[in-house]
Amino acid sequence: MSGEAAPLALPLSRLATGASEATTLYREMRKPLLRYLVCLGLSSDEAQDVVQDAFLILHRHLASGGSQENIRGWLFRVAHNQARNRQNRYDRNFTAASDGEMDAISHEATPERAVLEKEKFQQLGKAIRLLTEPERECLLLRAGGLRYREIGEVLGIATSTVNDTVDRAIKKLAEKCNV
Amino acid sequence: MCDFSEKLIAWLDGELPTDEASRVERHLKGCSECRSSLDAYKRMSAGFDAYCDAAVSFGAPCGVARWVPVISGAGAVAALVALLLAMPRTHVAPPTFHAPEAAAVAQSVAVAAQTPTSLVQEIPRRHARAPASVRDTNPVQAQNQNGYLLSEEPVIQIAISADEMFPPGAVPEGMHFVADLTIAADGSAERLQLRPRLAGFERRTTQP
Repeated sequence: MSGEAAPLALPLSRLATGASEATTLYREMRKPLLRYLVCLGLSSDEAQDVVQDAFLILHRHLASGGSQENIRGWLFRVAHNQARNRQNRYDRNFTAASDGEMDAISHEATPERAVLEKEKFQQLGKAIRLLTEPERECLLLRAGGLRYREIGEVLGIATSTVNDTVDRAIKKLAEKCNV
Repeated sequence: MCDFSEKLIAWLDGELPTDEASRVERHLKGCSECRSSLDAYKRMSAGFDAYCDAAVSFGAPCGVARWVPVISGAGAVAALVALLLAMPRTHVAPPTFHAPEAAAVAQSVAVAAQTPTSLVQEIPRRHARAPASVRDTNPVQAQNQNGYLLSEEPVIQIAISADEMFPPGAVPEGMHFVADLTIAADGSAERLQLRPRLAGFERRTTQP
């Protein structure tokens, strides 16, 4: 790289006042975003990359005077689109996870965190794999704390469609798991 | 199936309008079937969350994302800028830049760069952290009658080690950044520009 590579220009007012806010936002949002991306099927490295990219894009968005409304939904949308651009490994975990991986995932769920017992947990994993892609995405974004309206914005679908999809997905899981 | 079953999950998620939510709540008191369904949906939601958490733990070895030091680096730069701005005006935009002042700025840069955040401390660093230093000063600048600087060119160039802003291995060995600080006519800091520099490359090109 030469010495005159593209400079990173930072408006001082934003930088001075926004750095701690950005760090707080990052701490708060990193885990939900990673969880969403990994559950979409990205590897942990890819997910880390996407989260990093999403925050850099956010920085540029804010620095250029972009809207500060609903940053959480905005971040999920950017992360979602970035993940879509990495289609090669997209959707790996839930649709193509091996039984070994399923066991490992079930094993990871410690007693405090697991609501269901291990056997039921595996059953749940199989049921999740049987969901359609929009159903999984809706549940993942819902698990990330997004409102139906925000989920609709991320996925580009109507709020009423999100409502129906979440309703259907949860009922499917309950049915498959005999809960 | 009960008519209210279509609204239970939306109610659980707090997505129903107030009046509709109240109707669901009243109904739940008298309908054991819906209470039972609601319980199942709660457990499914919690189970889905737990499954996602487990999937992340399985797939992600909990490395610290590379974005953290970027923000921390930005924080350090912001602290540096704040320090520079907090200095008396004569220190920020002197007609000439004397060596003792340069040392003072270098010290402030080092202080800013070493200001730790808890996130920074979690990041293992391969190299010893080289303190940032004032790399270049340019005392020959046009001045207006008040002695303030008029030039668009950066007055102070501050070299910041890439290790201060990025994790080990993220940037090539020998890479550092030059921060150009442009001072406005009123003496305030107008613009900060970070330019990557590769020390080895520069050395090679400047050798006879």
